[in-house]
Parts: sequence; C-alpha cells; structure tokens
Amino acid sequence: MKKLSLHPLTWWIWAIGLAIAVIRFDSTVFTLCCVGAVAVVVYSNRDDAPWGNSFTWTLKLATWILFIRTVIGVLIGVPVPGRQLFVLPILPLPSWMPGIRVGGTVTAERLSSALTEGLLICSIIVIFGAAASLTSPHKLLRVLPIYIYEFGVAVVIATTVLPQLVTSVARIRQAQRLRGQTLKGFTSWKRVAIPLLEESLARSLDLAAAMDSRGYGVSRKRSTYRPIKWKLTDALVIASALLVLGLS
Amino acid sequence: MEANRCLGYRISLTCIGAVMIKFSNVSLIYPNSTTTVLENLNLEIQEGELVLVIGSTGSGKSSLLRLINGLVPHHTGGILAGDVSVNGVSTQMVKPGGMAHLIGIVGQNPANTFVADTVEDELAFGMETLNLPLDVMRKRIEETLDLLSLTSLRNRSIATLSGGEQQRVAIGAALVTHPKVLVLDEPTSALDPIAAEEVLSILHRLVHDLSLTVVIAEHKLERVIQFADRIVQINGDGVAKIGTPQQILLESPIAPPIVHLARALGLKEIGVSVRDMRRMTSEIREGAYVQQPTREASIDNPIITIDSLSLSYAEKKVLKQISTNVYAHEIVAVMGRNGAGKSSLLKSLAGIMDGVNGAVLVDSQDPQKLKGKNRRETIGFIPQEPSDLLYGQSVSIECAQADSDNQVAAGTTLSVLNQLVPGISLHAHPRDLSEGQRLGLALSVVLSGNPKILILDEPTRGLDYQAKNELTRILIEFAKATGKCVLLATHDVELVAELARRVIYIADRDIVADGTTLDVLLSSPAFAPQVSKVMSPQPWLKVSDVIAALDNPL
Repeated sequence: MKKLSLHPLTWWIWAIGLAIAVIRFDSTVFTLCCVGAVAVVVYSNRDDAPWGNSFTWTLKLATWILFIRTVIGVLIGVPVPGRQLFVLPILPLPSWMPGIRVGGTVTAERLSSALTEGLLICSIIVIFGAAASLTSPHKLLRVLPIYIYEFGVAVVIATTVLPQLVTSVARIRQAQRLRGQTLKGFTSWKRVAIPLLEESLARSLDLAAAMDSRGYGVSRKRSTYRPIKWKLTDALVIASALLVLGLS
Repeated sequence: MEANRCLGYRISLTCIGAVMIKFSNVSLIYPNSTTTVLENLNLEIQEGELVLVIGSTGSGKSSLLRLINGLVPHHTGGILAGDVSVNGVSTQMVKPGGMAHLIGIVGQNPANTFVADTVEDELAFGMETLNLPLDVMRKRIEETLDLLSLTSLRNRSIATLSGGEQQRVAIGAALVTHPKVLVLDEPTSALDPIAAEEVLSILHRLVHDLSLTVVIAEHKLERVIQFADRIVQINGDGVAKIGTPQQILLESPIAPPIVHLARALGLKEIGVSVRDMRRMTSEIREGAYVQQPTREASIDNPIITIDSLSLSYAEKKVLKQISTNVYAHEIVAVMGRNGAGKSSLLKSLAGIMDGVNGAVLVDSQDPQKLKGKNRRETIGFIPQEPSDLLYGQSVSIECAQADSDNQVAAGTTLSVLNQLVPGISLHAHPRDLSEGQRLGLALSVVLSGNPKILILDEPTRGLDYQAKNELTRILIEFAKATGKCVLLATHDVELVAELARRVIYIADRDIVADGTTLDVLLSSPAFAPQVSKVMSPQPWLKVSDVIAALDNPL
C-alpha cells in the first residue's frame, strides 16, 4: 500500500477531533472502536522513520497507565453500592481525612467505573501518540510559525528525541544483556533509564545547538524551499475526524 | 606558503591576507571546574587557512571550536574573558544564530543535528532561516549537491544514509549558506579511510578554490596532517601552542606515525606527508634486511567457528555464506567500508543478532543460548558506545555492581581497573570521564567476568593516541593468556597495524580478504598504514618493524 504523504498538521487536527469526540461520547464501546481504528490507521501508514516505531511503546505505556489507574481507582474512593466482588481490609486513616477510604468492599460497579475512566485517559494518550508517530517532527517544524520559535525548538526536540529513545532503549538493553544480565522488571528498567536519560539529554543539547548555529529563529521572516501544501487527502482525513465529532 | 612563515604565539600582521578569526586574550573556565580550558590565548587565523586543533581528549578542543561562533558561552555557560571575533563581528555582541551566515559548524555527531528528513530539505533549512529567495536557494542546492557528490542521494531519507554520507550532508548543509568559515569537530572519526579521504579532499579543494577558512579538531592526525597550514595544540591546562605542523610536531607528544618514524630514525627534520618522508628515507628503503620470521598462528582447536553464516538485517542481506575460524591467542581485526556489516558480524558472534542463518560456535556453544554467568565467562562484548554498559552513579558504585553481577570477590573489578587505567577518581561519574577512561571502565567491568573471547566494536572512536596505546597494550596482554582471543571491528588502520595479527576484510556481503595483517593491509593503498606507505616496498607496518629491521641488516 502506498503511504499517504500528508500535511504535518493533518494528523494532529485529526487527533484533536477524535479526542474531543471520545470525551463527548464517553462510551466504552465507542472509545474502544476509536482506539482500534487509530491502531489500524497507524500500522497501515507508518514508515521506517525512527518515530514510526514509537506507537507500539505508546500502547505499552497506555496499558500500564490503565492498569495503575484501575488499581488505584479500586483501592481509593467512595463506596459504590452494587454487586460485591471481594472485600479488602480497610486502612485506618487519621480523622482529619474524612470521606476518603482505602480498601473496603469492591463492587462490580466500582471496578467497571474505574476501568471506564482509565480507558478514557488511555485512549487520549493513544490518539495523540498515533499523531506523533505518523507525523515527521521535522516537517512539523517547517510549518510552525516562526514567532513561536522557542516553542518550535521544544516541539522538535521532544518529538525527535522521544522516538529516538525507543531505538536507544533497544540498544542499551542489548548491551546489558551482553553483560549477562537476566534481570526483569523495575531494577532492569532503572539500569536502562540512567544511560538513556543521559544520552537523550546530550542529544537534545546537540540538536538545540545545531538549530541555533544555523540561525533558526533569528530572522522573523523565513522563506520556504518546498512549500508544504494542503491536499485533498488532508481534507478527507480531517473530514473523517469532523464527521465522528459531529456524530458525538 | 606565506602564512606558514608567521610563527609563535602572536601572529604578526605582516602576514598576507585578511584576518578572518581573531582570539584576543581569550580565557575560558567552566563553572565548578578548577582548571582553565584556555588562558590568555591570542590567535589570528587568516582567510583561506586550514587550521588543525590538536590535544588529548577533554583538553578543550571542542570548546575552542565552539567559541568561534559563540556556542560557548551562549549555549553552554562558562566564563569567557577576552574577545573572539569573526570577520570583525564579536561573539559577545551577537548570538550564534546571528553568525549563521558567516560560520558553518559541523558537530562531532552529525546524526544528532539533522533537522530535516531528506537530504535536499536538510540543505535548504539553513537558507530558509536566512530568508533567502527561492531562486538563490535552488541554485545553491544544485551547486552543493554537485560539490559534495550528493546528487544521487538528494531525495533519500537522511536516517537511511551511511556514516560517510551523513558527514557529507552535514558539511553540505553548513556550506550551502556560503559561510566564510567552516568549523568541523572530528569530521572523520566515524568514517572508514576511504570516506575520510573523500571528505578531506573536498575540504582541501574548498580552501584552495574558494579561500574558505577551515578549523578542524581531529585525533587521527595521520589523516589530516598533510592538509593543515597551522596547528593549535591545546594542553588542557590553559596553555596553547600555535605554529606550523613542522614546528609543533617536532616536540608534541601527540603525533602521527610518520613523525614517530622520523624521530625514531633520528632525522633532523620531520615530514608531515608521506611524500616528504619518502624523499628523506630513500636510502633506508633501498637497503637489504633480514626478513623477520612471521609467527604462524596455531591452527588447532578454533575458539570461534563460523560455518556458512548468512545475515540479514531489515530484510536486506548483510552477509552471505561466510566461513572462517578464530584460534587461541589471535587478535583479529574486522575491516571494511561503513555499512559493510562488521557490527552485524560481531553481534551475531555474541548471539544478539536476529536473522542469522548458518552455524556459529563460540567455545563449542551456540552464542544465542548463552545466559548469565556462562555468557559472561565466554564472551565479553564492548559495544560502539561503551557507556551503554554502564549505569552506576560513580566509578566505585559501577565496580561494586560489576563484582556482585559477576559473582567475584569484592574489589576485583576495581583492581582490574587500576591495572588498565590507573588514577581514575573513584567518585567521578562515568559520564565525566574521558573517552579513554570510560572505555577502560567498560573493559574492566567486562574483564572482571573473565571472558574467553573479547569482542570490541569500533573501540577507537574519540580516543587519542595515548588512550589507543593503552588499549593496544591491554588487548595484547589479554590475548596472551591461554585459550583467549580478541576480535575487533575498526576503521583505524594504524591501530590494526600495531595490534592485530590477522585481518578479515568484508565487502560486498562477503569476506574479500582473510590473512595476516601485513598481507591484507599492504594489498590496498587506502588501507595501508602511514609507515608502510613511506617504506613501501619494504614490508613494514609500524615504527617498531622499521627499527627491528634496521638492527638486522643483511
């Protein structure tokens, strides 16, 4: 399948449209449909660029957030009446914290409401993660107006460096496997995180220095070598999001 | 050359040509640092000069380069006294962005500095920010594409280019705005000898055709020395020496192999190019000498066996059907152009490569299945970025961690480290070490596991001569022990000449040459070390070979 070559803002507008629709609809089925559709779009359109692989990690991150959000949602909060699933011991809290309860009876309703709320948050993350993985940050920089240039630098660094993190993670984990480490879970992540953070910091500084030395943001006027134009396909993609938004 | 005659600390104004870069009484110190990087430096660089900055790692070469366009101190902090001006514009008055039309700067790692997806857009970026009209941009992009032979790559995605191609794109992107000064930080460190040659000959042409002023920092002097008009030597304690290559190299501890050759032979003058040195040593070459016996490697019990190995990476065949063995006590260098598949081969030997077909046995075991302690005792692997192996917050924590990981007595790693690179501060963060010290730390972490096989991927990136000598000593020592061998991938022919006994040359997905270092290196002029170029047709690779032969005349 031929990859779509779209205006860099298209997928972001599309994502904003979908995100609003998901929030307004507030239905689990619709949210799941949306996330499914987004995943299909990403996996059929992504290219080999470094940011193309970031979506898988977005999904992993979203799953983690959903898990943690659900656990906390079940543990803490006001009691919700309904069908009882199991009972947790109640953690005694000081008297100046009235109305908050940790533990207690967990009902099916409480579990499902925690899940629905978590799912909503995650779907927003997935939708914007999709936009980030489908758009070239470099192209995005070129269409951003020059008067928000500090913002532009920040956007480019964030969107360039974060996806590159994914490649770095793979490289560093590989290197540490070579050290014969078979650690799993949090400890292994701590060992990846330190070299990773250092590397991405160094990389961001390099990029910012390079953009600065090449005169980015000095002149308020900026010429364009190959203007990026809006095309019919852009309109169609945005229309699809607006249609969904209209239905909600 | 007129400029060459101007000597010493302060260049007199009688030199012909306009002053392009001027350092007046420049001192630089970074906060939280006790040593000054530069102290009271006075330097004038003329238009059309090619100036080489040398110094050991961490001595402040990059800082000096970044002072030129004001990235230091505007971007990095640090206290600057004195004044740096380029073409009459002071960096105190103008931020780096305001110098963009005057100075093109190419960083140490071009891959980190690209701001566009395709080659053509990358070239356009600088001109777009300078608000140049479209017709000018089109003309200059064509010019630059031609100049750097990038035309066939113009629509390629930058992420898919090889290291040499990326370096050329970065230089092109710096040149396309027609700057008066080009500043390059280690432009050839990641390149194979042929790609390095290409890049440097382009710079040479620009200096001579367009009178471009070029300032280069580089460790591999053998590659650049013949092009330099003057050298700035930084010692790291604030002192800087300036002079012609002949003057500086006469005494400098940092010197390319031909200078060491000239010193060892007791020549009165030193030559900075192979041609000069050949003229001075014709008598030596014509003599007859006793052939040094070449020690045959033992060919019983290979430690690594590779049998019809094929590799593919991202659906592309990298290597097909290669077979070879590595025996005990061998130090084998894997060479080849950028992207020839050296790293992939080493990774497949370490068992961390997917898409492997064929049989690889390391110490009679399948490397893919090695785990934990057994892996550490079989293979030690130093990746291209040695810091990937490190995650401690200080050298001592790192060493203690390695002891407990490797299940050895406490203090083992530290004592290995003290043998390898003495004098490292135990409280230093691994990031703050010099490249050589960091490699030493990674090596000691790996060596404390007592592996049989040591594999190194491009260990000399960013290493100065001193650190390279240390590395050579360590590896030779390692390979002497029973049942051990070393494999390394590198572009550094001088290191290979000093270190390796055997070279495997990879090209076109196959092993093109596999033989003794002498045979393989001498068969190709691009991969021949300097000493052998000077001494050809005598079969000598390094200074010690020459001296040994001179002691045994026929």
